[in-house]
Amino acid sequence: MLALTRSLWQNRRLLRDFVRRDLKARYVGSSMGFFWSVIFPIVNLAVYMFVFRLILKMRFSDSASPGDVAIWMLAGITVWAAFAETVSRTTNTLVENTNLIQKVVFPSEVLPAYLCISSLINMLIGLPIVLLGVWWFAYGPGSNFETETASLALQAAESRPRDQTLGFGAPMLLLPVLMALQALLTVGLGYLLSTLNVFLRDTYHLVGVFITVWMFATPIFYPERMVRWDYKPALDRFEPGQYAWILDVNPMHWLIKSYRDVLIFADWPDPLMLGKFALVALAVFALGTSFFQAQKARFPDLL
Amino acid sequence: MATGNGRTSGSAVFAQGVGKCYQLYDKPIHRLYDMLLPGKKRYREFWAVRNVYLDVPHGSTVGIIGQNGAGKSTLLKLLTGISRPTTGEVRVEGRVASLLELGAGFHPEFSGRENIFLNCSLLGMSEAEIEERFPRIVEFSELGDFIDRPVKTYSSGMYVRLGFSVAASVDPDILIIDEALSVGDEHFKGKCTNRLNEFQEQGKTTIFVSHDMGAVKTMCQWVALMDAGEIVEQGTSEKVADEYLKRSKARGNERLSALNRGSSEYPRWGSGEVEVTEVTLLDPAGEPTHVARSRDAFAIRVRYRAHQDCVEPVFGFGLYRSDGTYVNGSNHRWREQPIELRDLVAGEEGEVTMSAPSLQLLQGQYYVTTFLYDHSKAAPTAIDHREHALTFEVLDAEHLQHGMLFLPSRWTVRRTLPGRPDPVVEDSEA
Repeated sequence: MLALTRSLWQNRRLLRDFVRRDLKARYVGSSMGFFWSVIFPIVNLAVYMFVFRLILKMRFSDSASPGDVAIWMLAGITVWAAFAETVSRTTNTLVENTNLIQKVVFPSEVLPAYLCISSLINMLIGLPIVLLGVWWFAYGPGSNFETETASLALQAAESRPRDQTLGFGAPMLLLPVLMALQALLTVGLGYLLSTLNVFLRDTYHLVGVFITVWMFATPIFYPERMVRWDYKPALDRFEPGQYAWILDVNPMHWLIKSYRDVLIFADWPDPLMLGKFALVALAVFALGTSFFQAQKARFPDLL
Repeated sequence: MATGNGRTSGSAVFAQGVGKCYQLYDKPIHRLYDMLLPGKKRYREFWAVRNVYLDVPHGSTVGIIGQNGAGKSTLLKLLTGISRPTTGEVRVEGRVASLLELGAGFHPEFSGRENIFLNCSLLGMSEAEIEERFPRIVEFSELGDFIDRPVKTYSSGMYVRLGFSVAASVDPDILIIDEALSVGDEHFKGKCTNRLNEFQEQGKTTIFVSHDMGAVKTMCQWVALMDAGEIVEQGTSEKVADEYLKRSKARGNERLSALNRGSSEYPRWGSGEVEVTEVTLLDPAGEPTHVARSRDAFAIRVRYRAHQDCVEPVFGFGLYRSDGTYVNGSNHRWREQPIELRDLVAGEEGEVTMSAPSLQLLQGQYYVTTFLYDHSKAAPTAIDHREHALTFEVLDAEHLQHGMLFLPSRWTVRRTLPGRPDPVVEDSEA
């Protein structure tokens, strides 16, 4: 773990070149340039809003305004997209760069790391849209749209007993911490899966399937409450949900929930939840990097 | 000087007892089983390189030759540190730049410019160093505007130019080249050779890999011959050349006998009164062979059987290079002392041999077409004409001359020096 981190530091220039090159590749060839990192989540959002709210008529709460729900969803989508993209790209990265690994002395640990950094930067570019939305509904023209009820509605969606209103605040300072923890988990998974993929190319396809399942197991498009509680009409009350355990074993739920607290509610995230996430992220990072380090010398022979 | 750069002792590259074993699995998943559940082995071992001892002193130019699959490329990967040896140790002193394969070490999506930076930083150069050398690299590569296009759009010649420019301009202590030079055009090849010569003069170390003895000989004082993963001979190029020829001969014979067995697919025509039953190339000892050495004695022999009487048959041979160039043709009649062959009788058998004291062909693949024509008529007609009756290879380790033919020649240099009435003459008979 330490050796790998040290090597990344030694190769920071290479890492920087790769990140720069990847960001350029994302935007330079396309005429819309940087707008794509904004447009993509928004289109996603429109599709999911359409499906979940208009077709399936899913109720976030009695009086949630569409704008608030959109912001809430967008925050989740942006974070998830960065995570999912990195995991699936890193899985194949060693195989894709066979030419470098086999033909020159190449520090292959750079590859998963640069993909992770690049997508985090890309996520940072998409975040201002979320913040703009928060400003619009909290302080701007959207705020006279009964902010009070709207935020109450979201509060119900979050099923949290705390007072949550949209807004900016000091908790936003935690953003770098969240991103660092996200990076740790993502790159750890990247090291683990990319190494596995060298041995078994099916890994790449498995990861694709797994990511989709994981996305729907995470409250991104639906409120946590709907999983946490089941309404029993016979008893006219809420019982603990049958699938609530999924939330308790899903680190990405903890992460996205913390992001939402920090980004759109100006609230401090649950320290216990964040602590759990940090532990998991560290463990995955340690596991991934040590597996990668142990097999690294064999890559040129195996690819 | 050979040992410049202030280095007087030690080896640039030192390998001892080096071996590389690959584990071959029938199914990729078995590799995973082996990793998770050790115990039962599910793989076959393949030793690509075995027990190699190599000591390359600073400032020398060493060639490694061998057939395809002899383990040269694997050995190079071990020397460059890309792959780790299973047994033994490799010690390398100094910065190594390698040119292992066409486009190796390039990222296809990156532009030429970005790849230069990528490769230079992999070689441990600082930003300032790269900036400083960048113009030289671009200039040497002659890529012009293409330097900003992704390298996936490059032609193979452009790949080589970029690769060589980077490898040669980063000022390595050790340069490892794997046959890559054979791709560029003559002009660029010349530039590369100049650069390599400069490199040698600066006392840097070069390791050069090829399957062509000739190419290695012109560049290297010391040659190592690889076969089946082992270095079977190393020493001066003359010493190794003999062993190399012996092995190529054995291998060529094997390959060409297979090729010759399939020679019936070439056209053969004629009236058939007399049949050519066998066509053989003979080595100086009179043994049949498919591989001849340049300037050795050789003979071509046919055996025939007459099925009917024949008045005036004439046997002849045509020698062609593999690309179809007609090199030589003759028969037993077109001579100052012709052999007149008359009245072959049905049931008769015999042989006709053409022998020469020295085979004046240079390295390459050639074939023999045999002619058997009836000359009793005004215009000769074919009795048994066999196209491509025999394929053979000529090996030339000495590389004294280039091209197709060896011309026995004499060279004379006559110098008239100022203040001396008699010219200084130097004469070379051979």
